[in-house]
Amino acid sequence: MTQRRLRSSLAVAVIAMIGCGGSAPQDTDATVQTEQAAAKPVQLAQALSAAIPAAVSAGAGVTGVVKFSGAAPEQRKVKMGADPICQQQHAEPVDEESVVVNGNGTLKNVFVYVKEGVAGSHAAPASPVSLDQAGCKYTPHVAGIQAGQALEIINSDATLHNVNAKPTINRPFNIAQPVKGMKTDKVFTEPEIMVRFKCNVHPWMSAYLGVVDHPFFAVTGEDGSFAIPALPDGSYVLEAWHETYGTQTQSVIVAGGAASSVQFSFSSQ
Amino acid sequence: MTSHSMSYLRHLRSFCCFLSWPTILVIGICAGWASTPSVFAGPKPQPDLNEGRAAYQRSCARCHGADGAGDGVDAKRFYPRPRDLSYGTYKFRTTASGTPPTDEDIFKVLTQGLPGSNMPDWAHMDEEERWQLVYYMKSLSTIFDEVPPDPVELSEDPGPEKADLTAGRQVYEQMGCAACHGDQGRANGLSAALLTDEWEMPIRPANLTQGWNYRGGQDPVSVMMRFMTGIDGSGMPAYKGAITDEEAWNLAYYVVSLQKAPHWHRIAHAAEAARGSLPENVDDPAWESAERTDIRLRNVVTQDGEWARAPTTNLISLEMLYNDEEAALRITWTDPTEDRSASGDALALLLKPEAVKGDAVSLQTWPYQGAPGLDIYFWSAHSGQAQEGIGENFDSVRDRKVSVAPRPSAAQYHDGEWQMVIRRPLRASGVPAIEPDKLLSVAFAVWDGGNENARAVTPWFDVALKPIGPSAPNGH
Repeated sequence: MTQRRLRSSLAVAVIAMIGCGGSAPQDTDATVQTEQAAAKPVQLAQALSAAIPAAVSAGAGVTGVVKFSGAAPEQRKVKMGADPICQQQHAEPVDEESVVVNGNGTLKNVFVYVKEGVAGSHAAPASPVSLDQAGCKYTPHVAGIQAGQALEIINSDATLHNVNAKPTINRPFNIAQPVKGMKTDKVFTEPEIMVRFKCNVHPWMSAYLGVVDHPFFAVTGEDGSFAIPALPDGSYVLEAWHETYGTQTQSVIVAGGAASSVQFSFSSQ
Repeated sequence: MTSHSMSYLRHLRSFCCFLSWPTILVIGICAGWASTPSVFAGPKPQPDLNEGRAAYQRSCARCHGADGAGDGVDAKRFYPRPRDLSYGTYKFRTTASGTPPTDEDIFKVLTQGLPGSNMPDWAHMDEEERWQLVYYMKSLSTIFDEVPPDPVELSEDPGPEKADLTAGRQVYEQMGCAACHGDQGRANGLSAALLTDEWEMPIRPANLTQGWNYRGGQDPVSVMMRFMTGIDGSGMPAYKGAITDEEAWNLAYYVVSLQKAPHWHRIAHAAEAARGSLPENVDDPAWESAERTDIRLRNVVTQDGEWARAPTTNLISLEMLYNDEEAALRITWTDPTEDRSASGDALALLLKPEAVKGDAVSLQTWPYQGAPGLDIYFWSAHSGQAQEGIGENFDSVRDRKVSVAPRPSAAQYHDGEWQMVIRRPLRASGVPAIEPDKLLSVAFAVWDGGNENARAVTPWFDVALKPIGPSAPNGH
């Protein structure tokens, strides 16, 4: 009953949001800075693309790995004492996720996306990206989504979560999901790296969503690798974003049927 | 100004043309507004930003800053801090979370102020000037150009007779309100101490028993609107979409039912104890015959000019009964957490010794260099004991030998409140006494162990056993 009721009102909310989202965002300091930081790689990429004749094909995409050097910071444990319903779901304390270094010396939860060079427009997929609140943590902690694609926010916990999205280019919102099983669809209409989510009730919860206007992005997992398949031949600038260590950019050329390999390296130094 | 001579109808027509149809629909449907008196009577004037800017510099810049960035000269002293108007986040709206307020929302805040904060009401200001301020404030943020307000429709207010408080209580539990606001609304939920606002500053949930302290208004319609739209920037989420209107109205009336009317008396009076027997404990039924006086507590501004922390204790209540020998005082104060550690909860009752005249010694500034000594009755939850003596500051009194042994005190902590009973002699015996036919100036200081380094104090106020002189005690 609650679910059905919820669905119908959500549909209205989503329609309303799409309807209101058409206004163009103003240039912000943040976007200007990002462009400046990327100026050098773009020039390099342009030089390379001038040297190699561009041939638009299916492309073999990019694969790579995000290495980590230096001493890995100690992963603190999350204290969930403020909500017994959260605490009861974990036999062992949960690790905090702001830096997760994998066993093979790579970095987890890095959002890698093509920042420059994608041609044409790419329709957003009809299927939503899920952001689940389960065990009083967000799953996934870092995710990518296309502008205009639905984000399905789910509460799998039998406790109140508030979903406080804090974009600076897109519209912020702070909605309540008090009941287990609630789902809310939201749409971000403009590219934005990154949109932070927090839950005020459980302040240890955070998630980051990379909103891009194409499908060429990935998030590193347990082995630190990433793959952006089907990226057409061409020259691009990739950016790797990490919540603690910031961003890095690299130029890459996709050509000739084999996936180009890229390595990023973040350091605690 | 020309607008005064223009006809209301012409204004109404241009106003309606300006609005989108859902807005008109909402204004039409939103009968809820009818239950709160309309805050503006005349038509909206045409915007004149020069006029608005001048009014802003006259009346607003001192707190909100010359450019509206919330950084005026007085800003650092305030909690909540003055809003950064250039940021574009507005807390008290009738619009969906993430969208800007309507002009009428801003006008209403200007006219009614934000109760419990430092934002006063500007109802005395010319109505046109207020509208020009609205227009000028909107020009300080780009949000108004980028995103249209998305008004939230409320269904018809069922009114207090049809509202179901039992169902409202269930909604309160189902919606997780207690996580922050506490089981009985006393701002002591498990997450209360963890909350941060949009600017990552500590923020506290509203104490729902204090209707006078609801920023956005304490009536059911205002409560309903806060609930459906959220309070953007504060952590309070919007529940629209998560709840039916019927459930939300029941909740709004339930929340309103938690409010306790305050008793702001200029003089706190005592009642004669029945059969001359004074209560020893906080829960003695004899207290029902005492008159309650509420006094606001405010955090002392620290040396760096900012509030030490988000205030956690904001109200103290005094009830008094007396017999021929003594007065018994029941003191009740808000505190979201019980802390009996060495740096834990504590209370001081301060009395002005005879030699100290006038109101010069504000507890906001005391103790200062050369400050007069005050009679301090100091109680700590850690020791459970009280001491009394003259002190030039609080620390010296703590170590001072007790000059007059206080009666054993009874103190209890329950659900966001401390209560304790202390006795005072009616006749001088080395300490200031509450003498019949005399006023005695007293004040309180409160330490909340859960809010380290923060001290909250009241202004001085008078206590008397019974009405003195020809004038009756002031009412509310």
